[in-house]
Amino acid sequence: MSKLLIVDDEIDIREFAKRFFKKRGIDVYTASGGDEAHEIIQDQEFDLILLDIRMDEKTGVELLREIRESGNNVKVIMVSGIEEEDMIKETEALGVQGFIHKPLVLDELEKIVLAELKA
Amino acid sequence: MHLLALSNLLIVVMCGILVFLLRIRSGKRPFVEMWSWASLAVFVWGLGGLIATTALSERLAVFGWQIAHIGTILIPVLFSHFVLMYCNLKKSAWLFLIYSLACLFLVFNFCFPESFFGGVRFVFNEFFYTNWTEKKGVLYVIMYISFYWILLLYSFARLLIFFFKSAGVRRNAVKYLILGSCIGFLGAHGNFLTIFVDGVYPYSNFLIAIYPVIIGYGIVRYRLMDITLVITRTGIFVATYSLILGIPFILAFAGRSWLTSVLGESWWLAPLITSTVLATVGPFIYLYIQNRAESKLFHERRRYQNTLRRASAGMGRIKDLRRLTSLIAHIVTRTVRLSHSMVYLYNKEDKQYGLRAIKSNEELANQPPKVIDAKTALIDEIKKYRRPIVTDEVSQKAQDRNDEKLKEVDAQLKELCAAVIIPTFVDEKLVGVIVLGQKLSGKMFTEDDLAVFTILANQAALAIENAFFYEDMKETHEQLFKAEKMATIGTMADGLSHQINNRFHALGFIAGDVLDTIKMKKNVPVPDEIKEMMVDIEHALHRIEDNVSQGGDIVRGLLKYTRKGEEGFAAVDLDALIDAALEMTQFKIKPGQLAIMREYSRDLPKIKGNFTQLQEVFFNLVDNAFDAMMQRKEELKEPDFKAIIRIEAEATPSGKMKIVLSDTGMGIKEEDKEKLFTPFFTTKLSSRKGTGLGLFVIQRLIEENHGGKVQYTSEHMKGTQVRITLPAYS
Repeated sequence: MSKLLIVDDEIDIREFAKRFFKKRGIDVYTASGGDEAHEIIQDQEFDLILLDIRMDEKTGVELLREIRESGNNVKVIMVSGIEEEDMIKETEALGVQGFIHKPLVLDELEKIVLAELKA
Repeated sequence: MHLLALSNLLIVVMCGILVFLLRIRSGKRPFVEMWSWASLAVFVWGLGGLIATTALSERLAVFGWQIAHIGTILIPVLFSHFVLMYCNLKKSAWLFLIYSLACLFLVFNFCFPESFFGGVRFVFNEFFYTNWTEKKGVLYVIMYISFYWILLLYSFARLLIFFFKSAGVRRNAVKYLILGSCIGFLGAHGNFLTIFVDGVYPYSNFLIAIYPVIIGYGIVRYRLMDITLVITRTGIFVATYSLILGIPFILAFAGRSWLTSVLGESWWLAPLITSTVLATVGPFIYLYIQNRAESKLFHERRRYQNTLRRASAGMGRIKDLRRLTSLIAHIVTRTVRLSHSMVYLYNKEDKQYGLRAIKSNEELANQPPKVIDAKTALIDEIKKYRRPIVTDEVSQKAQDRNDEKLKEVDAQLKELCAAVIIPTFVDEKLVGVIVLGQKLSGKMFTEDDLAVFTILANQAALAIENAFFYEDMKETHEQLFKAEKMATIGTMADGLSHQINNRFHALGFIAGDVLDTIKMKKNVPVPDEIKEMMVDIEHALHRIEDNVSQGGDIVRGLLKYTRKGEEGFAAVDLDALIDAALEMTQFKIKPGQLAIMREYSRDLPKIKGNFTQLQEVFFNLVDNAFDAMMQRKEELKEPDFKAIIRIEAEATPSGKMKIVLSDTGMGIKEEDKEKLFTPFFTTKLSSRKGTGLGLFVIQRLIEENHGGKVQYTSEHMKGTQVRITLPAYS
């Protein structure tokens, strides 16, 4: 079973994305912020992380850096609101699978996630 | 020296100067040249007369009179020739006749002076005068009658006819001619009286000194000057000064014996002191009388001249350009009682003088032009001349000199229905022109009028400059305020868009997940009504998803323009840019639906800008043009309609790139033009999904982020042209 971690500070997004992917037989975990996500990642391994860039306490980019610094090469897809060019460059350097831009309908998210999990 | 010699000396001096002036100022006008020959003949008369009347020997006196008679014979002939030329009459046979006659008289004058004018005799104990007697000189009488009665009266009649037919400046000039010829005519006949009748002193010779001067003034001085004004001023001048200088003379001559009895040896002190005192106060008396006389004579004119003066003083206080220009037009038209007046002001951007205000009392013959191009003959002439331009003068000059350029100026003046044009200069800059129509009274514009208009124009220029400055300042203020507001909005928009985006995102997920569940359970058997309900719910959820995507587009569109700065500015190739923009339209525009014509040189300089932002700009422009053309295709159903976007580009001398996109679309309706750049305004049908942000974002990206400019012209049902200026990469 593939393991997916969704990091987002919006409860609705976490909840409904979790329900959606669970129906597809994916083991979904959620975290509401960078620190929580960090702890979860240290405990277990994931096949893919959906990481929101802009969150209240810690940004997605900061979390990504911590993950990479700890030597974890887990696949990451960044979720961003606005296409910030400098941020994209920075995250690209840290190694990510791709970007998705909010708002996104679930069907499209599904395609991207499933493709990434299969690869 | 006796009076006749003095009058001859006067003739020599006056005519000498006049001939000199005429020769240098003839301006290649043939009739002026002709007048200079006639004046030369008068000069010869004066010179001969001077020699004859100061001669001590009889022989020299005869020689003098022979010279003088060259003048006598030629003056009427040349005068007549001049009149014919001036009135545009061609009478070669007539001219041949009178010149032949003149030659005949001249031969007699030189070969047989004795039988022609009868030699000389000493008269009035002063000088040798011609000694004509009935027995000797029949030819002389023939000359006198044919030249001084027939020829002169004929010329005089021609002048009168011409006077009644002419108008404007020319009519005014003819007044001088008639006045001058009358004086000359009287002068000549006075002299003949001395010849034919014993004991008449030729005082009238003084008139001959005056007459060429008056006419010379009339034809050389093209400026309009009212003849009544000249006469009044000269009259007052002569009267005042003869009185002032006359009183001491009378005192010295008539009151000498009385003065001697009172003052003794130093009697001369009285006239001396009187003349000193009078000479000192003379100018003041002269000015006072002149002012009084003119205020009586020209009461009406004074009134409006004063009004104009007061008005021009008050102009500086008006800061609103529109109010100022209409005030100028209004005041001038009303106070001078003109048919109309207009104010044109210079516009830096399109290098034209635009019509800013118009006031008319009468229907204009033709609609005045909205703009006067800065590169026309008229503006050139105004800039060169720097003084009020009078249409009558220009037309006459153009006609007389056959000058193509002046004819062009004249045509432009006629198009404006202008009688006078007053330029308004600030330093070397022609900021505007005030166009004046004819006076309703039909009277002419006088030199004084023009002087007052010049004052008005100078004041107006300052006021206009002031108003321009004020407008500029207001605009800068508004821009600063807007920029500040935009910065605040930018920060707010950033946070707001994040929040809204998250909501949309969540909404999309909620809808998507429920949709997903419904899809999964499609095959579970349920009662029909539940099934129907599920179809409705599914539809509703799809609508939510659509709205989420659209909302996202709007937020993204808004955010684009809040991003600023020159980061990521590089040399952008126009061709590559258009390729990239067209690539973005691929999903919407199918091959063959749209033709792009790139009408620019491939070696254009590069644009300095942000590629992504400019790509967005051109994508939006192409997208808009395409939509407009599709709309036209659908609505008008023209059989041979082709969707074409023409792209032209050129580098400007000021280091900018000017790019023009023209389409063959529906064009923009007049009522929509105002709102074109307003955010969320869209004319696109909802099916085409317009956010109403395209042009708004384009304008921000180009003007605020790139320091460029977007302008457009559009005609409904014809097409739209968008002009973009961007900095070139150096």
